[in-house]
Amino acid sequence: MKLNRLLIERIDHRILVGTLAFLAIMVLLGWIWINENGRMAAFDRQYLARSIERGAALYAANCSSCHGVDGLGAVGRAPALNSPYLFGHDFLAEIDTELTVLNAERPTAELNGLTERVTEIDARIAELTTERDALIAQMGPAVNIGYDPDSPSRTQRMGWTATLRSLVLTTLVAGRPTSGNYWPQPMASWSQSTGASLRTDQLEDLTNFILNWDKGSNWTLDDLNSVRQFPIYPIDPSTVTIVEGDPRIGATTEIAAVMEGLAMVTGDPQNGQTLYNSAVLGCTGCHANAAVAPLVEGTWTRVTNERLTLPEFAGYTGEQYLAESIIHPNDYTVPTYASGVMPANFGDRLSYQELADMIEYLKTQDQ
Amino acid sequence: MSVLPFPSFLDDVKEKGLKRAALEGINEVVERATAGMNLQDIREALRGEAASRKPNPRLQPHADGFWLHMRPSYFHKSVTGVYPEFRLGWLSTYFVFFETLTGIFLMIWYTPSPDVAYANMINIMSNVPFGQFVRDLHRLGAEAMVLIVFLHMLRTFFTGSYKKPRQFTWFSGVILLICTMFLSFSGYLLPWDQLALWAVTIGASMIEAAPPEVVGTNLNLLIRGGPDIGANGLLRFYLLHVLAVPAVLFIFTGVHYYKVIVHGHSLPPGEENIGEDTAKRVPLDKRVYFIPDILTSEIMWIAVTTLVLVVLSTWFFHAPLEAHADNQVTPLGTTAPWYFLWIQGALKLGDKVLWGIIFPTIVVVFLLVMPYLDVTKSRRYAHRRFAFTVAFLMLSVMVVFSYMGLPEFGVKTSADSEILYHMLMEPAHNHMGVLRPIPYDELVPGVYTTEQLHTEDYDGDIGTALASFNTELEESGLHSRLDQFLAVTQHLELNNLTFTAVPADAPELLEGLEKLEHELELYPTELPGAWAAIIVTEPQAGLKRVDVVISWLDVQIENGRPVMDANGELLFNLDENGEIARRVTGQYMYIHEDSQYFAAPGV
Repeated sequence: MKLNRLLIERIDHRILVGTLAFLAIMVLLGWIWINENGRMAAFDRQYLARSIERGAALYAANCSSCHGVDGLGAVGRAPALNSPYLFGHDFLAEIDTELTVLNAERPTAELNGLTERVTEIDARIAELTTERDALIAQMGPAVNIGYDPDSPSRTQRMGWTATLRSLVLTTLVAGRPTSGNYWPQPMASWSQSTGASLRTDQLEDLTNFILNWDKGSNWTLDDLNSVRQFPIYPIDPSTVTIVEGDPRIGATTEIAAVMEGLAMVTGDPQNGQTLYNSAVLGCTGCHANAAVAPLVEGTWTRVTNERLTLPEFAGYTGEQYLAESIIHPNDYTVPTYASGVMPANFGDRLSYQELADMIEYLKTQDQ
Repeated sequence: MSVLPFPSFLDDVKEKGLKRAALEGINEVVERATAGMNLQDIREALRGEAASRKPNPRLQPHADGFWLHMRPSYFHKSVTGVYPEFRLGWLSTYFVFFETLTGIFLMIWYTPSPDVAYANMINIMSNVPFGQFVRDLHRLGAEAMVLIVFLHMLRTFFTGSYKKPRQFTWFSGVILLICTMFLSFSGYLLPWDQLALWAVTIGASMIEAAPPEVVGTNLNLLIRGGPDIGANGLLRFYLLHVLAVPAVLFIFTGVHYYKVIVHGHSLPPGEENIGEDTAKRVPLDKRVYFIPDILTSEIMWIAVTTLVLVVLSTWFFHAPLEAHADNQVTPLGTTAPWYFLWIQGALKLGDKVLWGIIFPTIVVVFLLVMPYLDVTKSRRYAHRRFAFTVAFLMLSVMVVFSYMGLPEFGVKTSADSEILYHMLMEPAHNHMGVLRPIPYDELVPGVYTTEQLHTEDYDGDIGTALASFNTELEESGLHSRLDQFLAVTQHLELNNLTFTAVPADAPELLEGLEKLEHELELYPTELPGAWAAIIVTEPQAGLKRVDVVISWLDVQIENGRPVMDANGELLFNLDENGEIARRVTGQYMYIHEDSQYFAAPGV
């Protein structure tokens, strides 16, 4: 039995097999070496891609209820992340650059008596200014909800000199504790280092997902105009003028007293709708997304057909249920929704007339 | 003239010429380095010729050299074949060095802390040249080492080599087997991925069952470093992996090999009786000298073994790296490493203390003392039928228990969870969800359902079948319920929830739908009247979301099984109108165009 002697009988054959195996190993190492840079780059791409996938899942579960499933923000609740403003895309950049160059050239041309050139420049400036105005006019929907075409970059506006990645990541880590002053709820911190739930790698996944919304130079005006909510900035209190108006209801006013106050006024559904959709009150921020709060559509139907049939609302009218839901939202929370989410300060923000307007509007939602 | 008390190299050059002086110099260096063999001696040895000078220079390295003093200068001819040893002992030893070298490379890039360990792995794979390759080699080598050491033990058993006077050699070998398994196991945790965390959590939880409770609790705390495996646990496993277990392994490797040499390699059963010691009694005509025969053979074996490992690591095997470890997310189908599956299987038989602690302890103790219990008088196969029967029985039990250790055996998960898992699971255990490898371009955004595969009542017309299904959903109110489920639970906003047919240019998506339908058909009683949907959306450029939704008639379930009445009919839960309720559940995944999911080998 040949095999019964060191596997290979002859020493020269053993040496040959061993040497060939060694050479083959060297060749393979060379092969790996040649391909290594490409492989590492491919791994990076793949890892980033999978990180974005994980970030997307985290976003859907944790962020979409405030920032919108599509990242376009929620009115009165949280700003858009899928927005050219966050990524600092300047739609006017090309025009402004040319205008700057022309405006810089004009005095010199005038000084040197190049009247023909000055006329040419003036014509071009007029043309560009018209183009610019037209472009801004096309941004109307965005401008109406707070977008400033002359300040198109979120990072520049807030004086952030580091990268956008670091802005997103640090915001996720630490949150914006003071943003509760100008949003219904502050941006929470999400990092385990601050006692929250997400690990550093998960925050990086989320950041990768958010930054993946960047379209580079391909942002369009449609993208801009589809943004539902831009960031809002705290207002300097010294610039605020207090306007005397109707007295507020008061957040602690008993519901019986509220109903008495309401009996003195007549509601206007039109004004109620305006108030409801205004960024100031921010109702649609939540009530446009069934995942966060009951939808506005069908409110009155649900109140009369479902809520008032519950034993705890025996003796309630639909108006009383709505008034209590707005002024004392935590007294009752519709099952399947989290309690304590709706701000309990509308009593301090609304007058009786405004509350009556809102209730009249909601009564029209009887689909 | 040199100022040294002996002629310098320059003096030699002057006297003998450069060529001859250089050759003689090299010759001398070689002779010193090999502790006795010059170039001519080596040339003769490698040519297979007899030594041309006396005393035999090939014995000199064994007498004077460090490395070869621990190797015998000749072997008995009967142990130099493939049979009876299959070179398993030598290969086991080689793997100790192989794993040490590859492990040292990986240590350079690794910090044992939960904060950075996983990032270190990513760095090794994406930023360290040869990083992935060495990691693959280390992992593959670890698995191969467990296998080879185990086979070595089996071989020793079957040839009866553990019998007198080699009982202690066997004993030390079992210690080495245990060390090898624990080395491999402790290495599992270091990447700090889900596979690591949960495989080790299973292992560590067995320790917790050790009686009495005070011992189990404290042993568990000691090894995990806390109630859960965290920073302390990872550091402890790291130190076990790189210091404590290797220290024991190296010491016992020395002891084991010392005993092998002291008693000589055991000859085949027919050539050596119990109690015989062949170490120093090899007849001249039976001697095969280490240099050159054994040496060339051993080098050839490790060269070929290394080549096999390199080939496998280059093209066929990549060490797994799953998602980052997460204490909060228990993956379905968590298993111990394959060599501990038998314990996991035994645990399914019942009592954790009996099957998780006492049973493995009995097995290990039995293995350790077996040579002292088996005092039968012969090593011949024909005389050891009882021992062989017991061994084959034990092996069979191990195989059966290992099979029972698989997640497929005895772990009851609800049918809908199983299906969603099979369709969407992240790559793990060499598998991934059925829908993941579908080419990105074929994931055409749309809403599809398995109902498109049931066109029998519509003359094979998919369009009519789907239109009818859409109407049925609308009329039954399930459409709005589904819409609500997607929006509220799944965070998915759809503009249009109308089911359409899978486009013709997406055959793999259609295949995925067919597999989904097949999965539903596997559970006729758990999921009666079931249909499923695949919903593809594109939340970002280059990123798609795939939702799988399953709906079925709400059958009553008790202890994981559907409840039937006396006639064998399924019992259903009813809704507020007294109708049979319908359940809806789902799960989703995201697929990026660069994610490169592809079918794992063997799937």
